[in-house]
Amino acid sequence: MLSGYWHFVPEALVVAGALAVLFGEFLPGRDKGAAYIAAALAGAAALLVAVGGTGGPMVFGQVEPDSVARFARTGVAGLTAVWALWVAGRGMSDERRRDAVALALFAAAGGMLLCMARDLIVMYIALELSTMPAYILMGYRRRDVSGLEGALKYFLLSMLTSIVMLYGLSFLYGISGSTAFAELSIEGAGVLGLVAVLLTLVGLLAKMSAAPFHYWAPDAYAGAAPASVAFVSTVPKIAGITVIARLLSAIAPDMPTLVTLVAVASVASMLLGNLAALPQSDLRRLMAYSGVAHTGYLLMALAPGTDTGYAAAVFYAVAYALPSMAVMLVAAEEGTEITDLAQLAARRPWLAWSVVIWLLSLIGIPPLAGFFGKLYLFGAAVDSSLWLLVVLGILTSVVSAGYYFRVVREMFFGEPVGVSGEGIASPAATVALVALVAGTVVIGLGASPLLRGLGALLG
Amino acid sequence: MTIGPSAFLGLAAVLFALGLYGAVARRSAVMVLMSLELMAVAVNLNMVALSRFVTPTEMTGQFFAMFTMVVSAAEIGLGLALVLAIYRQTRSIELSSIDSLKG
Repeated sequence: MLSGYWHFVPEALVVAGALAVLFGEFLPGRDKGAAYIAAALAGAAALLVAVGGTGGPMVFGQVEPDSVARFARTGVAGLTAVWALWVAGRGMSDERRRDAVALALFAAAGGMLLCMARDLIVMYIALELSTMPAYILMGYRRRDVSGLEGALKYFLLSMLTSIVMLYGLSFLYGISGSTAFAELSIEGAGVLGLVAVLLTLVGLLAKMSAAPFHYWAPDAYAGAAPASVAFVSTVPKIAGITVIARLLSAIAPDMPTLVTLVAVASVASMLLGNLAALPQSDLRRLMAYSGVAHTGYLLMALAPGTDTGYAAAVFYAVAYALPSMAVMLVAAEEGTEITDLAQLAARRPWLAWSVVIWLLSLIGIPPLAGFFGKLYLFGAAVDSSLWLLVVLGILTSVVSAGYYFRVVREMFFGEPVGVSGEGIASPAATVALVALVAGTVVIGLGASPLLRGLGALLG
Repeated sequence: MTIGPSAFLGLAAVLFALGLYGAVARRSAVMVLMSLELMAVAVNLNMVALSRFVTPTEMTGQFFAMFTMVVSAAEIGLGLALVLAIYRQTRSIELSSIDSLKG
């Protein structure tokens, strides 16, 4: 019985890191040292998950550390470690870094639990643990009204949607008489079952900023510190998509209309996200809309309701989170307007080329992570003959190249306006960015063994 | 006379709808927070009622309600802190006056 607790050692490490940093006035180097320690502990947690046992059994009937959960947990902990390392090096827009890093680690612990959750109660608690620190991170600059405004909007919308979701969960529990995913069943529940699923799905889709529930994201992101956006827009998404995949695989077999609902949200997100991103001049807004579009791609893989699709979605969530976080970190270093990146290639050539690699991965160019991610997403949709989704996915990917290449053009041929924010060189931040480049390439090159491990290789 | 589950579910639905209306229609941030709290209460009532009528021997729904109560208390605290921080800067808690960000 007690042996089940070993599965939570990585989460315990992350929480220990968060607490140590939070109460760490005594730590060497104070603010900066604390952030390094947090990064080290999160990195250790990621390593521990990655080398830990696969396909573990159910623990206490509530969590299951299987191979998909292992991949997603590694992604969550690893990206948190990279983010903490960057913050340790560059600081957090004139505020203390310690608190931001502690919040991020708490959110990461929630996200890692969420990846394993197999019970409605665990899912709800983990979901709230992973989103509540995000509200504070979004309003982290206390004197900045627009940041606070974005945070309040994000908070109100997020709380509204989690209560709507919770209302749905209470009906799901009432219909099936249990909160375990394995025992959820809405067969023969008629209208009440439909209501329960609709409410739950609306809440979860809004958390993932899928259209038509996306409108909070661009406003919230545009007000916040870019370093906060780098974390909030990426890491919770990995955990979110993992748990949606779990929940859908539990209830979708009872309800064919669910596929249609997810497919509609997918189409709306792909179209709206990509088209709305085209005219944006603020990198945070651009990445917010691009995030909506990528949620659309992720939902495309969930729509067929197959195990292959679920694994492909989790893989792509990680493949999307890496470059997306990296681009926002660059915005935090260089400035949030696209024009702030003008002549980046002349000032910091290696950084400019790294941005090119990340953007190419987001578009989906081989051999980067994004290409294989999209390949398997589209593959899962083709297997279930969802041709409309596939065609739209490919067309909107081409459209997305339009706004990503605007950034590239600015970096290489842009006219510099005024003095750009050339910050203090920081080795730690450089290491973090190099890790993100390496991750984008390595996940791409290692895509087929990774996906075989997830049990998702297409025939 | 016995009161069946439909009475409780109906009351919860009414409370939920009232809260939703308040959350969407109210202009003051504090009133929106109170409306959200009303919705949370409706959900808790739903859970406890379902727990009583669906699984009377186990207490799953009641445990669920306990957890959600704690979480929503924490969330409201966080929300009020955000509202206070904004009030210190702008001397206003009207949502309509908080619109410097436009999508």
